Amino acid sequence: MSTQGAALRIAISAEGPDLQAKVGDRFGLSQYLVIVDSETMAFEAVPNPGASGQRGTGIQAVVLAISKNVNTVLTGSMSPTAKRHLSANGIEVLTGLCGTVAEVVEKYKKGDLQKHGGVGRKPEARGAEIDKVALVHALRSSANQFAHLLPILVGVVLLIGIFKAIVSKDLVSSIFSGNTAWDTLWGACFGSIVAGNPINSYVIGGELLEYGVSLFAVTALIIAWVTVGLVQLPAEMAALGRRFALVRNAVSFALAIAIAIFTVVVLNFVTR
Amino acid sequence: MWMLLFLASVLAIYGILFAVMPDKASMALRISGHVFLNIIVPLCVVFILMVVLNLFLKPAHIARFLGKGAGIKGIVLSVAAGIISTGPIYAWYPLLKELREKGAGDFLIAIFLNNRAVKPFLLPIIISYFGWTYVLILTVCTILGSLPVGYAVDAAVKEKTDLSSHI
Repeated sequence: MSTQGAALRIAISAEGPDLQAKVGDRFGLSQYLVIVDSETMAFEAVPNPGASGQRGTGIQAVVLAISKNVNTVLTGSMSPTAKRHLSANGIEVLTGLCGTVAEVVEKYKKGDLQKHGGVGRKPEARGAEIDKVALVHALRSSANQFAHLLPILVGVVLLIGIFKAIVSKDLVSSIFSGNTAWDTLWGACFGSIVAGNPINSYVIGGELLEYGVSLFAVTALIIAWVTVGLVQLPAEMAALGRRFALVRNAVSFALAIAIAIFTVVVLNFVTR
Repeated sequence: MWMLLFLASVLAIYGILFAVMPDKASMALRISGHVFLNIIVPLCVVFILMVVLNLFLKPAHIARFLGKGAGIKGIVLSVAAGIISTGPIYAWYPLLKELREKGAGDFLIAIFLNNRAVKPFLLPIIISYFGWTYVLILTVCTILGSLPVGYAVDAAVKEKTDLSSHI
């Protein structure tokens, strides 16, 4: 099947950086990914950044395979999550393999692996079948996304109910006084502290609007909700550096206020 | 798990409220029901949009073009990557770190992060609350606003690198 036609880029998890290296038992933890051209057998050995075995290692090998534009991954074993990510990106996955890199590539080229115990599926299957598979996958991912979004949204809406039933409009207007600058600042502060799916910011913002809070404040809240994140600041600093995270959040905070004012002024001008 | 914990805490608050102020509690429930009724149709559209986007966009494909390309092309690709990216931000940090180590610029990474504020599949909800015109202006401003953030981050990180290379 896949061995005919254009050359394929095959990534094999390996214990060493050459064709004679043993195939790695675990995709996420193998020392190298050896990427072989199926036609010329030219290869490139890339160290696996996740070989250390620390948290999130599996996904690093997945990112590596995707960024190297490989067509197929051959390995000993792989987590279902990693397999799903690779398959979703059109990469064929075959597991349960052992031997040397050169051996498994040869077997793959002969089509032996696909006949015996090839576990992955080829996403480039034909016609209606692929459409059905893709649709089922899309439905499953969406249901999963939705299931993650819904409990918080339901909780937020129930809290809005309590808020509206108990907190008086006078109390709200004592915080959001009608002063554009202060209201926008408070909105941006609230949006920076709280994090999560932006759908919650739309619902909260929309309901606050009905409560008499200005659109300036609500807009600043919506923008800062995603662009500024005090809760995830430590994670951002760890990933991208302290200076990057601090400057990005500080500038985004100031910009949330500026964009909120600009948006509402333009809106008022357009809808006048 | 913590999502369910949040919901359970809210339900516990309702339990207490029903015991202490039953009239307020039933009023709160009525108001919440009303809010649900308002968002139920947009929510259904959100689900359909999610399916359509999941069908045609593969989130991990974003890794292929984020941080690549220079000039306007690089900016457009990073903006697009931010807009179509889904999932919690935590899931993206390891990937961004990886891309940065491979040479993706801070400018483009900051642009990607700020454009995550534009969520195509949530458009039905935000439009139902605020209207088309507002959403259009806000979206354009968010996209354009990501550029100064990118420049500021890039300049600040470069300045630090320059300083440390002089020491």
